[in-house]
Amino acid sequence: MGPVPSWMSYLVTNMSTINFAAREINFKIVYYGPGMSGKTTNLRWVFQQVPQNRKGELVSLATEDERTLFFDFLPVDLGEVKGFKTRFHLYTVPGQVFYNASRKLILRGVDGLVFVADSAPNRLRANAESMRNLRENLAEYGIRAEDIPIVLQANKRDTLDALPLEMIQAVIDPEQRLPIFEAVATNGAGVFETLKAVSRQVLSRVAAAS
Amino acid sequence: MVEPAIALFGGAFEKASRVLEELLRESGARYALLLDRKGFVLVHREALWAPRPPALDSLATLVAGNAAATQALAKMLGEPRFNELLHQGSTHGMYAEEVGDLALLVVIFDNSAPVGRIKLFGKRAVQSLEVITRDSVVNPGTLEIDSEYRDGASALLDELFGN
Repeated sequence: MGPVPSWMSYLVTNMSTINFAAREINFKIVYYGPGMSGKTTNLRWVFQQVPQNRKGELVSLATEDERTLFFDFLPVDLGEVKGFKTRFHLYTVPGQVFYNASRKLILRGVDGLVFVADSAPNRLRANAESMRNLRENLAEYGIRAEDIPIVLQANKRDTLDALPLEMIQAVIDPEQRLPIFEAVATNGAGVFETLKAVSRQVLSRVAAAS
Repeated sequence: MVEPAIALFGGAFEKASRVLEELLRESGARYALLLDRKGFVLVHREALWAPRPPALDSLATLVAGNAAATQALAKMLGEPRFNELLHQGSTHGMYAEEVGDLALLVVIFDNSAPVGRIKLFGKRAVQSLEVITRDSVVNPGTLEIDSEYRDGASALLDELFGN
Protein backbone atom coordinates (compact mmCIF):
# COMPACT_ATOMS: atom_id res chain seq x y z
CA MET A 1 0.00 0.00 0.00
CA GLY A 2 1.29 3.40 -0.89
CA PRO A 3 0.61 6.55 1.04
CA VAL A 4 -2.72 8.34 0.88
CA PRO A 5 -2.71 10.41 -2.31
CA SER A 6 -1.84 14.03 -1.82
CA TRP A 7 -5.01 15.24 -3.52
CA MET A 8 -7.03 13.63 -0.80
CA SER A 9 -6.23 15.17 2.50
CA TYR A 10 -5.81 12.60 5.19
CA LEU A 11 -8.67 10.56 6.57
CA VAL A 12 -12.23 9.81 5.88
CA THR A 13 -15.30 11.86 5.17
CA ASN A 14 -18.07 12.16 7.65
CA MET A 15 -20.22 10.06 5.35
CA SER A 16 -18.90 8.03 2.46
CA THR A 17 -16.78 4.95 2.95
CA ILE A 18 -13.36 5.27 1.40
CA ASN A 19 -11.40 2.07 1.13
CA PHE A 20 -7.83 3.14 0.47
CA ALA A 21 -6.63 -0.44 0.25
CA ALA A 22 -9.06 -1.39 -2.49
CA ARG A 23 -8.89 2.18 -3.86
CA GLU A 24 -12.65 2.59 -3.72
CA ILE A 25 -14.98 5.38 -2.71
CA ASN A 26 -18.53 4.33 -1.95
CA PHE A 27 -21.60 6.49 -1.50
CA LYS A 28 -24.97 5.42 -0.12
CA ILE A 29 -28.08 6.93 -1.67
CA VAL A 30 -31.49 6.08 -0.25
CA TYR A 31 -34.85 6.42 -2.04
CA TYR A 32 -37.48 7.42 0.50
CA GLY A 33 -41.20 8.18 0.17
CA PRO A 34 -44.69 6.84 0.82
CA GLY A 35 -45.79 3.33 -0.12
CA MET A 36 -46.34 2.69 -3.83
CA SER A 37 -44.83 6.02 -4.89
CA GLY A 38 -42.36 4.30 -7.24
CA LYS A 39 -39.09 3.96 -5.33
CA THR A 40 -38.47 0.39 -6.47
CA THR A 41 -39.56 1.32 -10.01
CA ASN A 42 -36.80 3.97 -10.07
CA LEU A 43 -34.22 1.35 -9.11
CA ARG A 44 -35.53 -1.15 -11.64
CA TRP A 45 -35.21 1.43 -14.41
CA VAL A 46 -31.64 2.18 -13.45
CA PHE A 47 -30.92 -1.55 -13.34
CA GLN A 48 -32.42 -2.06 -16.81
CA GLN A 49 -30.56 0.81 -18.43
CA VAL A 50 -27.09 0.67 -16.92
CA PRO A 51 -24.66 -1.56 -18.87
CA GLN A 52 -23.91 -4.96 -17.36
CA ASN A 53 -20.30 -4.13 -16.50
CA ARG A 54 -21.32 -1.03 -14.53
CA LYS A 55 -23.81 -2.59 -12.12
CA GLY A 56 -24.12 -5.37 -9.59
CA GLU A 57 -27.11 -7.50 -8.73
CA LEU A 58 -30.46 -5.93 -7.92
CA VAL A 59 -31.37 -7.35 -4.53
CA SER A 60 -35.04 -7.01 -3.54
CA LEU A 61 -36.36 -8.05 -0.17
CA ALA A 62 -40.05 -7.90 -1.00
CA THR A 63 -43.31 -9.56 -0.08
CA GLU A 64 -45.06 -11.90 -2.51
CA ASP A 65 -47.15 -9.03 -3.86
CA GLU A 66 -43.93 -7.13 -4.63
CA ARG A 67 -44.15 -4.63 -1.81
CA THR A 68 -40.73 -3.80 -0.37
CA LEU A 69 -40.34 -5.55 2.96
CA PHE A 70 -36.88 -4.45 4.04
CA PHE A 71 -35.01 -2.82 1.17
CA ASP A 72 -33.95 -3.00 -2.47
CA PHE A 73 -30.27 -2.61 -3.24
CA LEU A 74 -28.38 -1.86 -6.44
CA PRO A 75 -24.66 -1.06 -6.67
CA VAL A 76 -23.70 1.14 -9.64
CA ASP A 77 -20.08 1.66 -10.72
CA LEU A 78 -19.43 5.16 -11.88
CA GLY A 79 -15.93 4.33 -13.04
CA GLU A 80 -12.46 5.37 -11.95
CA VAL A 81 -11.67 8.91 -10.90
CA LYS A 82 -8.10 9.82 -10.03
CA GLY A 83 -7.25 6.19 -9.45
CA PHE A 84 -10.22 5.52 -7.20
CA LYS A 85 -13.17 3.33 -8.21
CA THR A 86 -16.29 5.32 -7.41
CA ARG A 87 -19.45 3.44 -6.61
CA PHE A 88 -22.97 4.41 -5.66
CA HIS A 89 -24.99 2.04 -3.53
CA LEU A 90 -28.67 2.69 -4.18
CA TYR A 91 -31.23 1.60 -1.61
CA THR A 92 -34.98 1.91 -1.26
CA VAL A 93 -36.86 1.79 2.01
CA PRO A 94 -40.23 0.11 2.52
CA GLY A 95 -42.80 2.89 2.16
CA GLN A 96 -45.63 1.40 4.14
CA VAL A 97 -46.16 3.18 7.45
CA PHE A 98 -45.89 0.10 9.67
CA TYR A 99 -42.40 -0.79 8.44
CA ASN A 100 -40.79 2.15 10.19
CA ALA A 101 -38.39 0.05 12.27
CA SER A 102 -36.71 -1.37 9.18
CA ARG A 103 -36.95 1.96 7.34
CA LYS A 104 -34.91 3.57 10.08
CA LEU A 105 -32.16 0.94 9.81
CA ILE A 106 -31.62 1.64 6.11
CA LEU A 107 -30.83 5.28 6.82
CA ARG A 108 -27.67 4.39 8.68
CA GLY A 109 -24.68 5.86 6.90
CA VAL A 110 -26.77 7.60 4.23
CA ASP A 111 -24.95 10.14 2.03
CA GLY A 112 -27.90 11.43 0.01
CA LEU A 113 -31.64 11.01 -0.33
CA VAL A 114 -34.20 10.96 -3.13
CA PHE A 115 -37.70 11.59 -1.84
CA VAL A 116 -40.17 10.02 -4.29
CA ALA A 117 -43.57 11.67 -3.95
CA ASP A 118 -46.77 10.34 -5.49
CA SER A 119 -48.60 12.86 -7.70
CA ALA A 120 -52.06 11.38 -7.11
CA PRO A 121 -54.43 13.66 -5.14
CA ASN A 122 -55.33 10.93 -2.66
CA ARG A 123 -51.63 10.49 -1.77
CA LEU A 124 -50.94 14.09 -0.82
CA ARG A 125 -51.29 13.41 2.89
CA ALA A 126 -49.15 10.25 2.57
CA ASN A 127 -46.39 12.36 0.98
CA ALA A 128 -46.51 14.84 3.85
CA GLU A 129 -46.49 12.11 6.49
CA SER A 130 -43.58 10.32 4.83
CA MET A 131 -41.52 13.54 4.75
CA ARG A 132 -42.26 14.12 8.43
CA ASN A 133 -41.28 10.52 9.13
CA LEU A 134 -38.01 11.05 7.23
CA ARG A 135 -37.16 14.08 9.35
CA GLU A 136 -37.92 12.15 12.53
CA ASN A 137 -35.84 9.15 11.50
CA LEU A 138 -32.90 11.31 10.45
CA ALA A 139 -33.11 13.09 13.80
CA GLU A 140 -32.64 9.75 15.54
CA TYR A 141 -29.23 9.55 13.88
CA GLY A 142 -28.53 13.13 14.90
CA ILE A 143 -28.95 14.50 11.37
CA ARG A 144 -31.03 17.51 10.38
CA ALA A 145 -32.74 17.20 7.00
CA GLU A 146 -31.13 20.54 6.11
CA ASP A 147 -27.67 19.03 6.53
CA ILE A 148 -27.91 16.20 4.02
CA PRO A 149 -28.42 16.29 0.23
CA ILE A 150 -32.09 15.63 -0.58
CA VAL A 151 -33.63 15.74 -4.04
CA LEU A 152 -37.39 15.55 -4.56
CA GLN A 153 -39.06 13.60 -7.33
CA ALA A 154 -42.75 14.05 -8.16
CA ASN A 155 -43.50 10.70 -9.73
CA LYS A 156 -46.48 9.45 -11.76
CA ARG A 157 -46.82 12.72 -13.67
CA ASP A 158 -48.69 10.81 -16.37
CA THR A 159 -51.77 10.21 -14.23
CA LEU A 160 -54.77 12.21 -15.45
CA ASP A 161 -55.48 13.89 -12.12
CA ALA A 162 -51.83 14.49 -11.17
CA LEU A 163 -51.59 17.38 -8.74
CA PRO A 164 -49.76 20.56 -9.73
CA LEU A 165 -46.11 20.45 -8.70
CA GLU A 166 -46.56 23.46 -6.41
CA MET A 167 -49.21 21.65 -4.41
CA ILE A 168 -46.90 18.68 -3.76
CA GLN A 169 -44.05 21.01 -2.88
CA ALA A 170 -46.31 22.87 -0.49
CA VAL A 171 -46.62 19.82 1.74
CA ILE A 172 -43.16 18.29 1.50
CA ASP A 173 -40.96 21.35 1.00
CA PRO A 174 -42.98 24.50 1.71
CA GLU A 175 -39.88 26.72 1.60
CA GLN A 176 -38.99 25.31 -1.84
CA ARG A 177 -35.45 24.74 -0.67
CA LEU A 178 -34.96 21.41 -2.44
CA PRO A 179 -34.64 20.68 -6.17
CA ILE A 180 -37.65 18.85 -7.56
CA PHE A 181 -37.91 16.70 -10.69
CA GLU A 182 -40.99 15.45 -12.50
CA ALA A 183 -40.93 11.77 -13.35
CA VAL A 184 -42.76 8.84 -14.82
CA ALA A 185 -40.55 6.10 -13.44
CA THR A 186 -42.37 3.32 -15.31
CA ASN A 187 -40.98 4.66 -18.60
CA GLY A 188 -37.82 6.14 -17.13
CA ALA A 189 -38.73 9.81 -17.54
CA GLY A 190 -36.92 11.83 -14.90
CA VAL A 191 -35.24 8.83 -13.28
CA PHE A 192 -31.65 9.55 -14.35
CA GLU A 193 -32.10 13.31 -13.92
CA THR A 194 -33.06 12.77 -10.30
CA LEU A 195 -30.22 10.34 -9.64
CA LYS A 196 -27.67 12.61 -11.27
CA ALA A 197 -28.86 15.57 -9.23
CA VAL A 198 -28.54 13.81 -5.89
CA SER A 199 -25.20 12.25 -6.88
CA ARG A 200 -23.81 15.67 -7.81
CA GLN A 201 -24.94 17.10 -4.51
CA VAL A 202 -23.27 14.25 -2.64
CA LEU A 203 -20.03 14.75 -4.57
CA SER A 204 -20.14 18.51 -4.01
CA ARG A 205 -20.61 17.97 -0.34
CA VAL A 206 -17.48 15.90 0.04
CA ALA A 207 -15.39 18.00 -2.28
CA ALA A 208 -13.15 20.49 -0.61
CA ALA A 209 -14.11 24.08 -1.06
CA SER A 210 -11.23 25.06 -3.23
CA MET B 1 -23.00 10.81 8.59
CA VAL B 2 -22.36 11.93 12.10
CA GLU B 3 -21.03 8.59 13.24
CA PRO B 4 -17.33 7.88 12.97
CA ALA B 5 -16.01 5.61 10.24
CA ILE B 6 -13.24 3.06 9.86
CA ALA B 7 -10.44 3.81 7.44
CA LEU B 8 -8.24 0.80 6.88
CA PHE B 9 -5.11 1.32 4.87
CA GLY B 10 -1.41 0.64 4.97
CA GLY B 11 -0.32 -1.38 7.99
CA ALA B 12 -3.81 -1.70 9.49
CA PHE B 13 -5.15 -3.14 6.25
CA GLU B 14 -2.27 -5.61 6.03
CA LYS B 15 -2.81 -6.68 9.64
CA ALA B 16 -6.54 -7.19 9.14
CA SER B 17 -5.82 -9.20 5.97
CA ARG B 18 -3.44 -11.45 7.87
CA VAL B 19 -6.02 -12.05 10.62
CA LEU B 20 -8.59 -13.11 8.02
CA GLU B 21 -6.08 -15.37 6.25
CA GLU B 22 -5.18 -17.05 9.53
CA LEU B 23 -8.86 -17.48 10.33
CA LEU B 24 -9.46 -19.19 6.99
CA ARG B 25 -6.44 -21.46 7.46
CA GLU B 26 -7.32 -22.49 11.02
CA SER B 27 -11.07 -22.83 10.66
CA GLY B 28 -11.28 -24.34 7.18
CA ALA B 29 -13.81 -21.69 6.11
CA ARG B 30 -14.20 -20.53 2.50
CA TYR B 31 -14.45 -16.76 2.79
CA ALA B 32 -13.91 -14.19 5.52
CA LEU B 33 -14.95 -10.54 5.31
CA LEU B 34 -14.63 -7.50 7.49
CA LEU B 35 -17.49 -5.07 6.87
CA ASP B 36 -18.50 -1.76 8.26
CA ARG B 37 -22.01 -1.49 9.71
CA LYS B 38 -23.19 0.38 6.65
CA GLY B 39 -22.63 -2.73 4.55
CA PHE B 40 -19.40 -1.82 2.79
CA VAL B 41 -16.59 -4.36 2.53
CA LEU B 42 -13.38 -3.22 4.25
CA VAL B 43 -11.30 -6.37 3.69
CA HIS B 44 -12.06 -9.81 2.30
CA ARG B 45 -10.07 -12.98 1.86
CA GLU B 46 -10.86 -16.27 0.15
CA ALA B 47 -9.42 -19.73 0.70
CA LEU B 48 -7.32 -20.77 -2.28
CA TRP B 49 -9.41 -23.89 -2.83
CA ALA B 50 -12.76 -22.12 -2.60
CA PRO B 51 -14.92 -21.50 -5.68
CA ARG B 52 -15.66 -17.96 -6.77
CA PRO B 53 -17.62 -16.19 -4.01
CA PRO B 54 -21.10 -14.73 -4.49
CA ALA B 55 -21.41 -10.96 -5.19
CA LEU B 56 -19.66 -9.44 -2.19
CA ASP B 57 -21.53 -6.11 -2.40
CA SER B 58 -24.87 -7.84 -2.09
CA LEU B 59 -23.62 -10.20 0.57
CA ALA B 60 -22.25 -7.37 2.70
CA THR B 61 -25.43 -5.35 2.36
CA LEU B 62 -27.63 -8.24 3.39
CA VAL B 63 -25.44 -9.19 6.35
CA ALA B 64 -25.31 -5.59 7.59
CA GLY B 65 -29.10 -5.29 7.23
CA ASN B 66 -29.58 -8.59 9.01
CA ALA B 67 -27.24 -7.59 11.83
CA ALA B 68 -28.95 -4.21 12.21
CA ALA B 69 -32.36 -5.89 12.41
CA THR B 70 -31.05 -8.40 14.94
CA GLN B 71 -29.67 -5.65 17.16
CA ALA B 72 -32.96 -3.77 16.95
CA LEU B 73 -34.72 -6.95 18.08
CA ALA B 74 -32.28 -7.37 20.96
CA LYS B 75 -32.99 -3.86 22.16
CA MET B 76 -36.75 -4.48 21.97
CA LEU B 77 -36.26 -7.50 24.21
CA GLY B 78 -34.21 -5.49 26.68
CA GLU B 79 -30.86 -6.97 25.70
CA PRO B 80 -27.98 -4.62 24.95
CA ARG B 81 -27.00 -6.88 22.03
CA PHE B 82 -27.11 -10.36 20.56
CA ASN B 83 -23.50 -11.22 19.97
CA GLU B 84 -23.46 -13.53 16.98
CA LEU B 85 -25.46 -14.60 13.99
CA LEU B 86 -25.28 -18.16 12.77
CA HIS B 87 -27.11 -19.55 9.75
CA GLN B 88 -26.70 -23.14 8.66
CA GLY B 89 -28.07 -24.93 5.63
CA SER B 90 -27.45 -28.47 4.46
CA THR B 91 -24.20 -27.51 2.70
CA HIS B 92 -23.30 -23.92 3.55
CA GLY B 93 -23.25 -21.81 6.66
CA MET B 94 -22.58 -18.23 7.65
CA TYR B 95 -21.31 -16.87 10.90
CA ALA B 96 -21.28 -13.16 11.73
CA GLU B 97 -19.96 -11.46 14.82
CA GLU B 98 -19.72 -7.84 15.89
CA VAL B 99 -16.30 -6.23 15.79
CA GLY B 100 -16.73 -3.31 18.16
CA ASP B 101 -19.46 -0.82 17.39
CA LEU B 102 -18.56 -0.12 13.80
CA ALA B 103 -17.66 -3.36 12.06
CA LEU B 104 -18.73 -6.96 11.47
CA LEU B 105 -16.81 -10.15 10.79
CA VAL B 106 -18.48 -12.56 8.37
CA VAL B 107 -17.31 -16.12 7.82
CA ILE B 108 -18.79 -18.32 5.09
CA PHE B 109 -18.12 -22.03 5.39
CA ASP B 110 -19.27 -25.38 4.04
CA ASN B 111 -20.01 -28.63 5.83
CA SER B 112 -16.37 -29.70 5.76
CA ALA B 113 -15.67 -27.16 8.53
CA PRO B 114 -17.17 -27.89 11.96
CA VAL B 115 -19.25 -25.01 13.32
CA GLY B 116 -17.48 -25.18 16.67
CA ARG B 117 -14.16 -24.50 14.99
CA ILE B 118 -15.61 -21.61 12.98
CA LYS B 119 -16.94 -20.00 16.13
CA LEU B 120 -13.77 -20.60 18.15
CA PHE B 121 -11.43 -19.11 15.59
CA GLY B 122 -14.02 -16.51 14.62
CA LYS B 123 -14.14 -15.15 18.16
CA ARG B 124 -10.36 -15.19 18.33
CA ALA B 125 -10.15 -13.21 15.09
CA VAL B 126 -12.69 -10.70 16.42
CA GLN B 127 -10.39 -9.89 19.33
CA SER B 128 -7.53 -9.02 17.00
CA LEU B 129 -9.78 -7.16 14.57
CA GLU B 130 -11.26 -5.09 17.40
CA VAL B 131 -7.85 -3.71 18.22
CA ILE B 132 -7.03 -3.02 14.58
CA THR B 133 -10.34 -1.31 13.81
CA ARG B 134 -10.32 0.67 17.06
CA ASP B 135 -7.02 2.18 15.97
CA SER B 136 -8.47 2.95 12.54
CA VAL B 137 -11.55 4.85 13.63
CA VAL B 138 -11.69 8.36 12.31
CA ASN B 139 -14.04 11.09 13.30
CA PRO B 140 -16.53 12.81 11.05
CA GLY B 141 -15.63 15.65 8.83
CA THR B 142 -11.93 15.07 8.54
CA LEU B 143 -11.56 14.13 4.90
CA GLU B 144 -11.76 16.49 2.06
CA ILE B 145 -11.94 15.35 -1.50
CA ASP B 146 -10.73 17.96 -3.92
CA SER B 147 -12.87 19.59 -6.56
CA GLU B 148 -10.90 17.87 -9.33
CA TYR B 149 -12.21 14.55 -8.07
CA ARG B 150 -15.72 15.97 -7.91
CA ASP B 151 -15.54 17.26 -11.46
CA GLY B 152 -14.15 13.97 -12.76
CA ALA B 153 -16.92 12.01 -11.07
CA SER B 154 -19.48 14.47 -12.31
CA ALA B 155 -18.34 13.94 -15.92
CA LEU B 156 -18.70 10.20 -15.45
CA LEU B 157 -22.28 10.72 -14.27
CA ASP B 158 -23.07 12.33 -17.62
CA GLU B 159 -21.35 9.52 -19.46
CA LEU B 160 -23.30 6.82 -17.59
CA PHE B 161 -26.70 8.48 -17.32
CA GLY B 162 -26.65 10.81 -20.35
CA ASN B 163 -26.65 14.58 -20.54
